[in-house]
Amino acid sequence: MTKRIVVNPLTRISGFMEVDVKVENGQVVDAQTKGNMFRGFEQMLMGRSPFDAIYFTQRICGICSAAHSMASSLALEDALDIEPLEQGRYLRDIIHCCEFLQNHIRHFYQYTLPDFVKIEQNPLFQADHTDFRLPDAATARISRHYFESLTISRRCHEMLAILGGKAPHNHGVFVGGVTTKATAEVVAGLSSILAEVTAFLEEKMVPDVYEVARYYPEYYRLGGGYGNLMSYGVFDRYRDLGTLYVDPLVWTHAGKEPFDETKITENIDRAWYKGTKQTYVPDEEMTEPDRGKASTYSFVKAPRYDGQPMEVGPLARLILSGEYTNGVSAMDRTIARAIEAVKIAGIMKTLLGQLVPDTDVQAKYTIPETAQGRGLTDTTRGGLGHWLKIKDRKLSFYQIITPSTWDFSPADDRGFRGTAEEALMGTPVQNADEPVEIGRILRSFDPCMSCATHVSVSGKPVKTIKVFG
Amino acid sequence: MSGKKGVLPPEPMTNDAVAERLVRAARRSMDMGTFQKQNLVYLELNGCSGNIISLLNGRNPDFAYMVNSMVNLRYSNSLMAAEGAQATEKLFEALNEPFILAVEGAVSLRDEGMYNVIGMHERKPLTGLKAARMLGEKADTILAVGACATHGGVSAARPNPSESVGLQNVLPERKLIKLPGCPVNPRWFLGTLAHILLYGEPDTDRLGRPLMFYSTLIHDRCPRRPFFDKGIFAEKLGDPTCLFKLGCRGPVTRTDCPTKEWNSGVNWPIGANTPCIGCAQFGFPDAMEPFISYDTTRVIEDD
Repeated sequence: MTKRIVVNPLTRISGFMEVDVKVENGQVVDAQTKGNMFRGFEQMLMGRSPFDAIYFTQRICGICSAAHSMASSLALEDALDIEPLEQGRYLRDIIHCCEFLQNHIRHFYQYTLPDFVKIEQNPLFQADHTDFRLPDAATARISRHYFESLTISRRCHEMLAILGGKAPHNHGVFVGGVTTKATAEVVAGLSSILAEVTAFLEEKMVPDVYEVARYYPEYYRLGGGYGNLMSYGVFDRYRDLGTLYVDPLVWTHAGKEPFDETKITENIDRAWYKGTKQTYVPDEEMTEPDRGKASTYSFVKAPRYDGQPMEVGPLARLILSGEYTNGVSAMDRTIARAIEAVKIAGIMKTLLGQLVPDTDVQAKYTIPETAQGRGLTDTTRGGLGHWLKIKDRKLSFYQIITPSTWDFSPADDRGFRGTAEEALMGTPVQNADEPVEIGRILRSFDPCMSCATHVSVSGKPVKTIKVFG
Repeated sequence: MSGKKGVLPPEPMTNDAVAERLVRAARRSMDMGTFQKQNLVYLELNGCSGNIISLLNGRNPDFAYMVNSMVNLRYSNSLMAAEGAQATEKLFEALNEPFILAVEGAVSLRDEGMYNVIGMHERKPLTGLKAARMLGEKADTILAVGACATHGGVSAARPNPSESVGLQNVLPERKLIKLPGCPVNPRWFLGTLAHILLYGEPDTDRLGRPLMFYSTLIHDRCPRRPFFDKGIFAEKLGDPTCLFKLGCRGPVTRTDCPTKEWNSGVNWPIGANTPCIGCAQFGFPDAMEPFISYDTTRVIEDD
């Protein structure tokens, strides 16, 4: 007997998402993840000042806005042929660290935990399933940490604002690095808050995630998927420090290899878009939304690497950097987020130690008549790419491929499901009226649908690159 | 009340005195534990969910105090434990009791709202458009939270591919309290909410913005104003002087950013040596562009 389960909205994520699964004999046999909103940032950016992209693209997402300022400023530096000072990179990467920390803490406590722990005392946490397994004492302790984490993640945004002016949607990240200087007050302030955050991560968040894992051991076997992993690299290739976290790498059935950006394509076969081509490389085509297109089901497009769906994010980074070896599953992904938070706090401490006080990294920049550039970096949820072109000193092309587009793509024209869709395949669903397994697996990827469905736009021609051999 | 009647001096009727009495009464009821929490529905529509993240950054009061002592948060896509049909049910259940409605994000009109589906009800897509109308018509008080809700904001930036509009466009008859900003500063939201719960709706300007947060131009209270007055202008981002010639929108933007700042008061955009981009002003972003310009005296060409 086939049963269809639709979950809409999938709450406790950023943005709007629906999941539609078929269950046969208690197991998922088909799955579709659907992005349910559209704004069209790429189209909106046409004709604007290239500098404005750094602030404008942050408005794609309220929980990972600094990520877009990172990718956008990298793309502009590429286009303007600017090599930022190493001090500028350090400062900008410190802002990026703050965002990782804010994000991971909020995702684990506010978004993930209510799936596993009955948070006490508030109607907001009225759950629609009964699979809560932690003993009372642990439940009470983790409930307290839920509220404590609100303070800690707020502190992370305070650190971000010290350098970035405000958060979300910071003002500090810019071409050349940042607009603020590392004064003694700044360094001391950041160090002091970071110590507080680090203590919370080590003493509470990491133990809490392992406590959850202890009572839900089957999630080490659920939500695996393809096992293809990818990172664009982050906190990497510093001139003096080398790589503090992860280089651009890819893991497929063929093993680990260096990442090659020319192997990225996007496909719109099953997505609500029309374009001159169904499959294209990022800097050649912008598509237009078309919600009436036949046989389609999502505002998310399908990016592929060498034709393959990829998983991006904390687990991918930890495995690629050789720091985690347990496996690929929903629980491994959730644990990786906590472990990575500790790792990021350590990187931030290292970067703070490198700062030279009062260095001004800004200059007066000139936009060239024509140029093009791209900025690729890993951010909280995984690899983020911005591609841009400048004509008549204005933006003439903008393409964004976000981490959640990689993880939550629809199927493609070759029949490959998206990464998260594949991760749902074979999942046993105990009770089709309370399909708690589905949300748990999807949330392990930390979906950001505001980002994944930012997209759009009008046709741009076209150089032919043969992608599939 | 009657016992005091006729006693001189007469009961003060000045605004300050009335306000003080209300404050005392509210404090007393809170002290006695008789403070009545109201229901709050927090709706996210076509936007980036940045306003609820900003709300989580609130302090004094903070979010925990808000949900435990000020309101019963009936619905929040970002935070509620329930999902799917059970979540949507909670949204419809909220309609049966009095509630305050907070909306962030714009309303997408394209394809009858199908470019922003926020849930499923009775096997049909629930669009942001439908939810905004349905809840907006019944809510006791409506807060438009952030630039997308107050006037379309970035979601409606040209050429506005999702045909997004501000909340007022689909609720033309309702009075909205408008809290522009991208995102809203959590103080503007939590302070307005507190005012509603303690003393009723706050005084607003003719555009619906609470005067307590939006009455004064940034430029008038900017700590860099002396540089402006002396004609000392920054030439690039990162300079410590007046950012006017880089395109600062402080002279046209009304908020309390210069005195209260952001993120628990640790900093603000001008404190980060960058111009205000006017994110709390109607017309943001299109009317506030370009955000960054190294020479505002240049000739602006038409598109």
